Amino acid sequence: MTPLVPETSRRTVLVGAAGLAGLGLLTLAGCAPDRRTPTIPQAAATGTAARGGRLRIARPAASAAETLDSASSLSAYEYLGALYNRLVRLDESGVTVPDLAEDWSANADGTVWTFALRDGVRFHDGRRFTAADAIYSIDHILDPATASPQGEVLSAMIGPGGMSAPDPLTLRIELLTPNAEFPSLLTAYQCYIIPEGSAAEIGRTGIGTGPFRLSSFEPAGTGSIEAFDDHFAGRPVLDGIDFYSIQDTTARVNALLAGQIDLISQTNLDYATAQVVSASSTATVARAPDAQWYTIPMLFTSDEFSDPRVRQAMKLAYDPQTIVDTALQGTGSPGWDNPVPPSQAVFLDEQREYDPEKARFLLKEAGREGLRTEIFTSSYESVFTPLAVAYRDAVKDAGIDLVVRNASADSYYTQIWMQKPLMVSYWFTGRPIDQLLNQIFRTGSSYNESAWSNPTFDGLLDAARAEMNDDRRRMLYQDAQRIVVEDSADMTPMFGDRLVGLSRNVVNYAEYGFEFDYLSIGLRA
Amino acid sequence: MNASIAPTVLLVLRRLATALLTVLLASLFVFFAVQALPGDVAQQLLGQDATPDAVAALRETLGLDQNVWLRYGNWLLGSATGDFGISLVSGEPVGPDLLVAFRNSMLIAVPAMVVGVALSLTLGVIAGVRRGRPSDHTISLVSLIVMSVPEFMVATILVLLFAIAIPVFPAVVLRGDSATVAELLPAVWLPAIVLTLAMAAYIVRTARSSTIDVMASEFVTTAELKGLTTRQVVWRHAVPSALLPTLNVVALNVAWLLGGVVVVENVFNYPGMGKLMLESVFNRDLPTIQAIAVVSALVYVVCNLAADLIALALDPRLRTRRKARS
Repeated sequence: MTPLVPETSRRTVLVGAAGLAGLGLLTLAGCAPDRRTPTIPQAAATGTAARGGRLRIARPAASAAETLDSASSLSAYEYLGALYNRLVRLDESGVTVPDLAEDWSANADGTVWTFALRDGVRFHDGRRFTAADAIYSIDHILDPATASPQGEVLSAMIGPGGMSAPDPLTLRIELLTPNAEFPSLLTAYQCYIIPEGSAAEIGRTGIGTGPFRLSSFEPAGTGSIEAFDDHFAGRPVLDGIDFYSIQDTTARVNALLAGQIDLISQTNLDYATAQVVSASSTATVARAPDAQWYTIPMLFTSDEFSDPRVRQAMKLAYDPQTIVDTALQGTGSPGWDNPVPPSQAVFLDEQREYDPEKARFLLKEAGREGLRTEIFTSSYESVFTPLAVAYRDAVKDAGIDLVVRNASADSYYTQIWMQKPLMVSYWFTGRPIDQLLNQIFRTGSSYNESAWSNPTFDGLLDAARAEMNDDRRRMLYQDAQRIVVEDSADMTPMFGDRLVGLSRNVVNYAEYGFEFDYLSIGLRA
Repeated sequence: MNASIAPTVLLVLRRLATALLTVLLASLFVFFAVQALPGDVAQQLLGQDATPDAVAALRETLGLDQNVWLRYGNWLLGSATGDFGISLVSGEPVGPDLLVAFRNSMLIAVPAMVVGVALSLTLGVIAGVRRGRPSDHTISLVSLIVMSVPEFMVATILVLLFAIAIPVFPAVVLRGDSATVAELLPAVWLPAIVLTLAMAAYIVRTARSSTIDVMASEFVTTAELKGLTTRQVVWRHAVPSALLPTLNVVALNVAWLLGGVVVVENVFNYPGMGKLMLESVFNRDLPTIQAIAVVSALVYVVCNLAADLIALALDPRLRTRRKARS
């Protein structure tokens, strides 16, 4: 039942053919591959957009079971920001700013929060937005039956009956414990506001207050949204957006190059593809700066990495800038093992030292001179393997001998992640500081990928939640970052720019964290 | 004459029985292979954080706590009537989705088959007859090159040429699963060409070598000595004999198309069976994977059965039970 011609005879010629086709790809795309590598644009094109027009977006669908219910773990992400609003959102520096809530304040100890809601906001079906809708939406997230990823976070804060509406435009939330950062937890992309009583059908109707209203939606298929004239912040520039599901990355890029679509969402193009795309006459590349947070978790429960000296040596041994230069070809910024991106207001601007000799000394002291172990990678994300290889090369000077092991992408996050002592991983940036540190670094959190535990650090997080003074709270978060840099088991070698493929006709594309500017994006006039 | 019909019928019946048995064995293998996968359907559905109680409850609802042979029997009976169960992901019956995907795949596979087989047999015979001449060298070289380049590469090159550089055809099917036949028509050309090329190369090579063998045989020499023109010798005498050994290669290649479409359909985002298969594997949609595997096995068996029956019809030696010298 096997093909008659043995596979090997095909494979042998394959290598040459691949090279030829690669060359063809570059020349055909209209790029003259001279010595200078084509540069990837720093920023997206801005300018006057034509009024109206339809944008075509290709997206990788989550699954055939995807839904427009933002609370669900299977939400169709690209639609959410266009259809709905949250009470609050994050600005580029990670500060909580108004969306449907205009203003908010807490009592002295941060246990009762009062949100003043925007007046005159309408849902797509004409209903007026009130506090009852906000309470209903948050209850829907808290409902264990929804199994919302943000449910776990919020249910630790809000008890049953904790929410009330003193008047239609005021929302009062009583917390179980003080939390000075509570509003920031409502910025998650699971926290979009839906009309009261709509949870059963919201997954198909998509009725929200956002700049676009739904006209059609098929899970893992096509969908369309139309400009909503009554949006409180004004009508969007575009008349509408059409979404298409294309699972294969190459197919998405081909569709862009052939002019069948205008934007590829949620796809970090690998550097070589980004070069081809930016060299083409129809398409180009824009960056979502520092959108990809790359990590190298060292399993805290493993023999070697339970020793703080070994963890410190693994950090001192490498210079993150060289990792950015080799693994990302410079399209990102060095992390220096601090998980907070430099753009954030709470960022601790202290660069740790780079000292391979000290790393060597620490290893010797820990009895691990010439540490030899495996670092796992996979094709799950295009930068994983370049990162693992760059890190392996970088730590050689400190006498650390790493062997790069490639694991199946399919089971990477079920069989390698949180199980092998050393691996590469990544997250999207865009979490508010409280959620970032509590979710990924706190003792026992289900997302704590290195299983690190440090009581002093946990204590700082609690102290920050109880600290209502903004300046003093920022200092506590910075102390927490210092402990992460010095002691944590999760290294942050770098933040990568997401390289987004889009048509040369698209203007005013802007995306950071989990925010996409659906109001201003348009097609060139 | 009458005496030879009965053994022929018997032969055909025996061949049909073997085919049926093969399909049954394939279904058995597929079913138990899927059972052997780590984690069961209930676990897959509920995810890793599911409580043991919830998993047990769902196992009961899905009938997973029943005896495995009983479940196999039920599944087999259902499959025979086109009821392949419920998709774990979409929650809808697998059958209708599979049917649409199968139809879409046939939309590219059938033209590829017809054109590919006709073209490659002709080219193979020409190359065989003109052995050693420039036309033979060209045909052999080109087919060797096409054979060596994998389908996704051919697909990418064609997309670059005819969708991006000279935009005649669409690069992908934008509307995916919801595309109608009319919407698919402009998009079937490139994938069909890729499949044609991938398949044709093997057949050209086999047809060429079997033509060479036949052209060197005694009865062809006799025909030539009888004073027939080359054209008559080739098309009346040599080709029918040369085609017989090629038939099985054609059958296997036609069935192999089903494997080829997996890669090709993904490059073109073409909503056929190959793409459905990849997505179901990715989503661990076990009932769909099971159904696709059985349908693929069925196509393999039917293709081979057809090849055998055609051979039986073409070659009297196969019907007359070892009366021939071989």
